[in-house]
Amino acid sequence: MNASGLLLAASVLLPLAMAACCIVRPFRARALSLLGVAPLPALLAALLVPDGTSAFFPPPFRMSLLLDRPGAILLGGAALLWSAAGAFASSYMGREPAAARFAIWWLLTLTGSLGLFIVADIANFYLLFTLASLAAYGLIVHEQSARAHRAGIVYVVLALLAEAFLLLAFVMLAAGHPDANPAIRDVVASLPSSPMRDGIVALLILGFALKMGLVPLHVWLPLAHPAAPMPASAVLSGVVVKAGVIGLIRFLPFEAGLPFWGNVLIAAGIVTAYFGVIVGVTQTRAKTILAYSTVSQMGLLAVLLGVGLDTADAGATSLGAYYAVHHTLVKGALFLAVGILAATGRARLRPVLLLTGLLALSLGGLPLTSGALAKLATKPMLGYGYVSYAMALAGAGSTLLMLHFLSIVARDARENPQSSAPTGQIIPWLVVAASSLVIPWSLYPAIAGESIASLLQPAALWKVIWPMLLGGLAMLLVRRITKLPGSIPEGDIVVLAEAGTSVIQRLAAGIEQVDVLLRRWSVAGLSLIVVAVLLGALMFRA
Amino acid sequence: MTPLAPASVHLATPGGYLLVLAVTLPVLGVLAMLVVAPRHARQVALVTMAAGLVTAIAIVAELIRTGTALTYVVGGWQPPLGIALRADGLSATMIAMTAMVITATGLFARGLYALGPKAQDGRAPTTFWGLLLATWSALNAVFVGEDLFNLYVALELLTFAAVPLVCLDGRAETVAAALRYLMFALLGSLLYLLGTGLLYGSYGTLDIQMLSRLSEGGPALSVALALMIVGLLAKAALFPLHLWLPPAHAGAPAAASAVLSALVIKAPVFLILRLVLDIAPPHAAILAGQILAVLGASSILFCSVMALRQARLKLMIAYSTVAQIGYLFIVFPLAAGNEAQAPWETIAWTGGALQLVSHAFAKAAMFLAAGVIAEAFGHDRIADLGGFGRVLPISAAAFGLAGLSLMGIPPSGGFIAKCLLLTAAVLNGHPWLAATILAGGLLAAGYVFRVVDRALATPAIALVAQKPIPRRLELVALALALAAMLLGFVPLEPFGFLQLGRSGAMAGVAP
Amino acid sequence: MSLASLGTATLFGLCGAALAGIGLFIVIAHAGLLRRIVGFNILGAGIFLVFGAAARRGAAAGFSGDPVPQAMVITGIVVAFSATALAVALLQRLFDLTGRESLDAPAASDKQQAEP
Repeated sequence: MNASGLLLAASVLLPLAMAACCIVRPFRARALSLLGVAPLPALLAALLVPDGTSAFFPPPFRMSLLLDRPGAILLGGAALLWSAAGAFASSYMGREPAAARFAIWWLLTLTGSLGLFIVADIANFYLLFTLASLAAYGLIVHEQSARAHRAGIVYVVLALLAEAFLLLAFVMLAAGHPDANPAIRDVVASLPSSPMRDGIVALLILGFALKMGLVPLHVWLPLAHPAAPMPASAVLSGVVVKAGVIGLIRFLPFEAGLPFWGNVLIAAGIVTAYFGVIVGVTQTRAKTILAYSTVSQMGLLAVLLGVGLDTADAGATSLGAYYAVHHTLVKGALFLAVGILAATGRARLRPVLLLTGLLALSLGGLPLTSGALAKLATKPMLGYGYVSYAMALAGAGSTLLMLHFLSIVARDARENPQSSAPTGQIIPWLVVAASSLVIPWSLYPAIAGESIASLLQPAALWKVIWPMLLGGLAMLLVRRITKLPGSIPEGDIVVLAEAGTSVIQRLAAGIEQVDVLLRRWSVAGLSLIVVAVLLGALMFRA
Repeated sequence: MTPLAPASVHLATPGGYLLVLAVTLPVLGVLAMLVVAPRHARQVALVTMAAGLVTAIAIVAELIRTGTALTYVVGGWQPPLGIALRADGLSATMIAMTAMVITATGLFARGLYALGPKAQDGRAPTTFWGLLLATWSALNAVFVGEDLFNLYVALELLTFAAVPLVCLDGRAETVAAALRYLMFALLGSLLYLLGTGLLYGSYGTLDIQMLSRLSEGGPALSVALALMIVGLLAKAALFPLHLWLPPAHAGAPAAASAVLSALVIKAPVFLILRLVLDIAPPHAAILAGQILAVLGASSILFCSVMALRQARLKLMIAYSTVAQIGYLFIVFPLAAGNEAQAPWETIAWTGGALQLVSHAFAKAAMFLAAGVIAEAFGHDRIADLGGFGRVLPISAAAFGLAGLSLMGIPPSGGFIAKCLLLTAAVLNGHPWLAATILAGGLLAAGYVFRVVDRALATPAIALVAQKPIPRRLELVALALALAAMLLGFVPLEPFGFLQLGRSGAMAGVAP
Repeated sequence: MSLASLGTATLFGLCGAALAGIGLFIVIAHAGLLRRIVGFNILGAGIFLVFGAAARRGAAAGFSGDPVPQAMVITGIVVAFSATALAVALLQRLFDLTGRESLDAPAASDKQQAEP
């Protein structure tokens, strides 16, 4: 293993080792302040390690790592946000008694979510996916409020459901393979010719869509993300949902293409994109609005990947990653901004609000921001059909949602006492905000294959400006509807599902009664005889 | 009518005496306890455990070294007149697992009984040590037995040692639970014995190796096997014959519960495996396997829901045992061999064995952790345990890690086992079994999560331990849980050691 | 000679089956634990008779009687005796503690669960 391989390995091992070191009390006490350091190897790896580098852990671990273009893009953005949010957390959570526990869950989630971007074999992909999913539960319920508790339960149920779908899909993928733990690349190459192809793809899409929060599997996301402490919300919404994105990128056969499933993804994505906006506008809490915006943005990403799958365009993976990294940084910065705004007094509010506004509108596609770049980069692939217009309109929806968000945070900040956020929080926020502007620019030529100058042409600007204007107009309309705020509860359709719990309760109570009956001596004796007769008769007939 | 197979079925191997040692060492320990003063029972037990552990390791090492099964022919008398002891890869695995779990339980019990200075030399601890060793001896006898009647005696010994373990504390509830256990187990053993009689009447031998060479079935064989399998099912407490298990395992003292749930019910399961795979004619085995799989699947689903509904921690773990045992029965259709592959060469065989072993470690860890919790707070009502993770972080970690193995979350033995079984279900075209495995995992996640959620909670009134718990006790549970986790590092393929001593699988065995 | 011996063996077997059936019925149908214990012994006796029949049939192979089942029956009787002893001891204990002599008392299983 050469230096770059070691760096790659370190990006998984360092956070894991730090989590393990928390067994020792002195380290545990200090763990929170070191959170910002843990993702640094991953950041360096994303910057320095050339594409195509691989690393292999010997048995019994059997983990293989591989850095490719989409992985590197996502890894870099994610590591940056993790690092900044970690630094933010050490200032934000500093005095809390349970901070050490928070740090352990944080490090475990971090290990899983960063490892997913570089892992190359199927078993360890599942391992890291599980780690990221389950450890995130600790972050969600950290505040121990009733709200966090409910969110945690909904989250865990759906996360485990996703695990089950994916396990079955992975087992089916690997079943025909001679190697017990094959490389993802190999199984995906043989996927289009697999007899169980449709079943596998359906399970994969279900599992990863649950993770991404595509409608109607998004219910956990608007509950869970706002429930966590501020820095954790930032990484959950910014990075951890990307586990679903990298899953789709890794496991769907973009080179061969699957038109039917591509269209399924497109349809689910468009529905999600609009659904997130429509429900999001009715929300009155800033973090919930951001979570719904994440739902909507994940819908857009699903459309991108769906188009790639439909047209057998492998370039969709890089474009998807590009879009995802834009969302990672912007959404992370926005969540941190909510924390900063809550701590900023009226006197210094203006610059903070200004930057927040810039970030928020970037999601809607404000010209010269990463949002505009991401939208322009993906335009050619979307073509000029209905999908393209649907995406542009979704941009208008994002603008609307973000304007709503801004009005809410501005309203909330008005009552703040005179104070200012600690520097330990402001600097990480500024770093993420700045990099959300800089990184997409630096990647643009390589991803889109066009020069930066092309971005400044009026036609390109107009492409992103008209949806924003539409969004602004819609905002004016929406403000007129006074009944709107709060009309849809957080988590929307989960409320329907929760109404169904009484049926499950009855069913379980019925099972309990059957158990009491079966455990009566005479009934058990009879079942003993019945089983014996059944067995004997069947074996006799054989 | 009585086709006696050639006399030289069993060739004694040099390491065969190790098997005798494995069975007799604990008996010697029990005898020594009767001789020495009660207060020395603990030392005798610990010494015996050390010796037994070494024996188990020696058996495994010898098996790996020679690459064939260890055999001992008692008194040099060949079956059908004599009795043979034999350990193949699976038996050796069971022996090693038993030795480890028993030793861990012994260390735990030593710490627990040391808590009350008066209790240390009391009647309950002394009885406990004797019964623990007797259970161990009986378990080893079941794992190495080749003669079906000899196995009957071993099973009865196991029952007689296990039943008093249930009611060590002498409360009315536990005595009732023990009686219920004894009654149902007796019913099971008598059915088994009846089957043995029929087999002997028809074939004139009870040696498993000799019976396995009979190719033709017949009414007597079917009836006998059905009786024996059902008798064993009653002892294994598979749904719907689980009436005795929840009160017995939940009422027993923690250390006893661990042994009962982790090991004792595995003995009948192990025998069913041998009856179905070794003796039953192939067609009958497939049909019997299907019935067993249906029962196993119902066990997984039904008892997992029951576990989810329990208010008390130990009852929950007990129901979870019934559910997890179900996985061992869905192995039968999945491991059904074909022309190309014998059952023990399939991944389902490895998966089943791994499930058996990892469940033993995980369940023992869970019961020990639950014992620590009940000891510390004086109760085990799950709803009132909010925040126990802060008071007993190591026990909470042990419970959580063991839970991961039960849920089948990587990296753990339970995950590899479920993954292998799932692969087998997919490859052999059993979608319902695949769905059951996944649903069982989800339900297991549900009941484990209920407890983990309590561990992480911060209640309004902080929970305080009623008495200090030595760290050593908690560490034993954690060590068992970690063992279940470490099993997650075995590769996802048929495991060579488990095929040792199985006919037709001599070649290509990985040392 | 052989016909007569076959007849005896069949008779043994039938008696054994009948006893086992009676024993099984008692064990399953009766709630009283003492009766159940007696039932177990009848069931056991029936099974030992089946073994006896098996030993008698072994005689057809040229022996004057197959010794192996006889050894098994003796072992079995010892085992059955110890089982009975254990069961009676536990029953005595239960009776001392609660005054009950059956397990399926009304709502016994519920009590097991509700017990703290």
